[in-house]
Amino acid sequence: MSQGHELINLAFLTDQEHDLILGVLRRDEELRKKEEMRIRKLKMELQDIRKKGAKRGSRNYSQKACARCQNALGPFSFGAGQCPVCSHQVCQNCRVTTPKGSWKCTVCMKELDLKKATGDWFFDQQINRFTNASGFDLVRKSLKRKPQPNKRETTTEVQQQQQAQNKQSASSSPRAKHRALKTKNVLFENSEGAEQQKSDTESAESHQSTPVFKRRGSLGDAAVPQSIPVNLNPEAFTMSTTTSKSHQAVKSEDSPSKKRSEEPADDTLFTKNPKTIALSDYARPKSVIDLRSEVPQIEENTMGDRSKSMPGLDRDLDEEEEDIDSLVEIHRKSAVRSNSIHSRASSGTLGSMMSIYSEAGDYGNVEVTGEIVFSMSYDTNAQTLCIFIKECHNLAYADEVKKRCNPYVKAYLLPEKSRQSKKKTVVRSKTVNPVYHDKIVYNISQSQLIMRTLQLSVWHYDRFGRNVFLGEVELSLDTWNFKDTAEECLPLHSKASSQSSAYSHYKGELVISLKYVPQSKLQPQKSKSKKDEGGELHVLIKEARGLTAVKAGETSDSFVKGYLLPDRSKKTKKKSPVIKKTLNPYYDHTFVYTGVSFDELKDLCLELTVWDREAMSSNHFLGGIRLGLGTGMNKGQHVTWMDSKGEEVSLWKKMMQFPDSWAEGTLLLRSTMGLVK
Amino acid sequence: MDGKLEFKWFSEISTMTDGDYDYLIKLLALGDSGVGKTTFLYRYTDNKFNPKFITTVGIDFREKRVVYSGSGPNGTTGKPFKVHLQLWDTAGQERFRSLTTAFFRDAMGFLLMFDLTSQQSFLNVRNWMSQLQANAYCENPDIVLIGNKADLSDQREVQEKQAKELADKYGIPYFETSAATGLDVDKAVITLLDLIMKRMEQCVDKTASETANGGGSGKLDSVQAPEKKCAC
Ligand SMILES: Nc1nc2c(ncn2[C@@H]2O[C@H](COP(=O)(O)OP(=O)(O)OP(=O)(O)O)[C@@H](O)[C@H]2O)c(=O)[nH]1
Ligand SMILES: [Mg+2]
Repeated sequence: MSQGHELINLAFLTDQEHDLILGVLRRDEELRKKEEMRIRKLKMELQDIRKKGAKRGSRNYSQKACARCQNALGPFSFGAGQCPVCSHQVCQNCRVTTPKGSWKCTVCMKELDLKKATGDWFFDQQINRFTNASGFDLVRKSLKRKPQPNKRETTTEVQQQQQAQNKQSASSSPRAKHRALKTKNVLFENSEGAEQQKSDTESAESHQSTPVFKRRGSLGDAAVPQSIPVNLNPEAFTMSTTTSKSHQAVKSEDSPSKKRSEEPADDTLFTKNPKTIALSDYARPKSVIDLRSEVPQIEENTMGDRSKSMPGLDRDLDEEEEDIDSLVEIHRKSAVRSNSIHSRASSGTLGSMMSIYSEAGDYGNVEVTGEIVFSMSYDTNAQTLCIFIKECHNLAYADEVKKRCNPYVKAYLLPEKSRQSKKKTVVRSKTVNPVYHDKIVYNISQSQLIMRTLQLSVWHYDRFGRNVFLGEVELSLDTWNFKDTAEECLPLHSKASSQSSAYSHYKGELVISLKYVPQSKLQPQKSKSKKDEGGELHVLIKEARGLTAVKAGETSDSFVKGYLLPDRSKKTKKKSPVIKKTLNPYYDHTFVYTGVSFDELKDLCLELTVWDREAMSSNHFLGGIRLGLGTGMNKGQHVTWMDSKGEEVSLWKKMMQFPDSWAEGTLLLRSTMGLVK
Repeated sequence: MDGKLEFKWFSEISTMTDGDYDYLIKLLALGDSGVGKTTFLYRYTDNKFNPKFITTVGIDFREKRVVYSGSGPNGTTGKPFKVHLQLWDTAGQERFRSLTTAFFRDAMGFLLMFDLTSQQSFLNVRNWMSQLQANAYCENPDIVLIGNKADLSDQREVQEKQAKELADKYGIPYFETSAATGLDVDKAVITLLDLIMKRMEQCVDKTASETANGGGSGKLDSVQAPEKKCAC
């Protein structure tokens, strides 16, 4: 279990192979989408049936009425009986007789049918073995992690290429980037991955495909890349070589033997290859290495996680799990539910996910008891946060009467509630004193870490997906003493006490790159006039992720506006094009500020704000950031806008530190551009 | 296992682009390179034979929709239902192994193939089995063993008896097929499909009784004769 962090080293693939496989995954994704639609429809049907009679979760209802149709059951009502599955009293009309002669109530029957039709019977088992990713996810993620170019120079080129491509078409640029990465791989001296890539550079040219995963990747995961390879299959198994003549002939013609020999012997297995970490992160220049927690990630798909399968819709396993609860408690939540279904159909937004998260789920039903025992450590070199979940004591039963409790622990690094932020332990069955000895690992830079809150929540896992909240703890990581790795034993508390946690202000993220081009590096003809004296500040607005729609459940037509403060005039005002109907817009637009001297940079502040374009009325603010040194001062004067913090500051610094190269970062959007404490 | 199929399956030539089906079942073919996985699946889905060997790069899949109708022996209601099959084709070449095994976990059943004209490909079945046990969604997934290229009888290196014994040892059905002639190709796939559908029913039954039982104290476990126990 808990093998959620593994990745496969796929560096051995040639570009052409890589693309072929991507093509297959793309086709698979189409099928998954179709499947997702189908399943959603089925679940709606179930919801309809349940609407007629909502008694299911709770037992305190009148025994005198049919649990399904609510019609009165007389004390000696003919034919009334208990459904053998849910043990509710059900009248004759609300039963379905199975081929084997027994009967179940309509809801239970439908649930069982659904379990088959949705493939849940399968996913329930799969999840016992592979907690997180489906193989599809795993491969897709691994595919994206091609060997890396070395340094900022490379990224510069990448970006230049990208910009050049922008003029042509937005969709071709990532491919260009990909190619650029390839050509520069020479820099990667000690990596066999790079060696291999080198020889394949040419083939990349001939095999351009539309980068389907680009947008996927933008679907909202600021996320901690799960780049710890885990040995999936410990018994290394080597196949004896095929000896049949026909086989061999093909083998040798297929893959250049050179390449094969360069492959490490264990590469064909799931190996714990430390290089994967170094090589794995897509397009991340070393110069911004501490942004590592914010690599564009491919949206995780979780066919493995229950029945949902559509990437981008399947934001969260618990969303689904807890979602089913909301189905049960129809009276309270039908509005929310239909709303969220709608929004997930359109784009699977973080916003709607959050609303589901906060509304659905059995939060209130259990009186939280017990405590959780864990320890935490942070490895500054590897930039990994390791949480060791030891055990829980004395948990509440999810079902007091039946003494049911299959608890697992779920972790989030708030404010992020993306899939990458979510990690889970194994499920322990039938115990209120589960012992886990399970490790949860996050890759996160220290600067990011201190802005996060660790949330550990305990849930009862139910096969039907009606997971029950059993309690949680929240720890602010800025005050945590990571030197002390001793065991902590903290009492669990209920949701209510942490209702207003930070994530309610989550407004999404903005992915940008900054570059300062000193005058000396500018092409002479470029600095045409006197007033353009000085260098240039280039701001590449790549994309935003997880924006919050103005109206819940809808998308947004958004654009980014920039000012270079202190000058809040037309002169420094820049706007990106409007990207329509998405909460994960890919702008890929560059602002260039000319005539900026290097010395000025420390006094400037770049304000980027994201707006929802309203055709007939004023635009709506969706979030923003301010990039600068955050000194609070401008030329010796106190100013309020010089208020950058954390990542906003470090990105700006990085840009200053490495002129003429891109510094890329993913920044959490502020929910207000007013003063921050 | 001689084709005493309880279900009647008809392949349906339909548009296949709609989501109008009742179950999505994912099968996966595995085995050494050159045993004929791609060709076998092509025969199954398109009823055609491709004599050329184009080795599979990493992973691929084909689709086919089949309809089940008629009734099983225990009087299953005869309502026809549609199954959309996703047939994963994996590369047998070792260099893709890490990639292909990653797909094992997403499949509900497996077509484990070897080449009747290659003893080595048969010997490797054991290795493939252990790969499956380690990487499939559960430890005892549904598998059929397939000895392919039965048409090349003059080049045969693996005897039916040998293969049958191995299959029996694993408790899985065995078929000799030919993608070239189409011999028993359908039968092998449909047998696997049946096994999966049965397991599905069992899993769901079990969940139901467990729920009824308040977490499955084990009382009902004896009631259900578990010939092939489902681990859910
Ligand atoms: N005569 C005969 N030839 C077959 C049969 N099945 C496959 N072949 C041939 O065997 C060769 C290999 O078949 P493929 O289906 O490509 O092999 P594969 O298992 O997919 O190989 P990889 O993709 O490398 O794993 C091809 O030339 C096929 O035409 C068969 O039943 N009879
Ligand atoms: Mg093949």
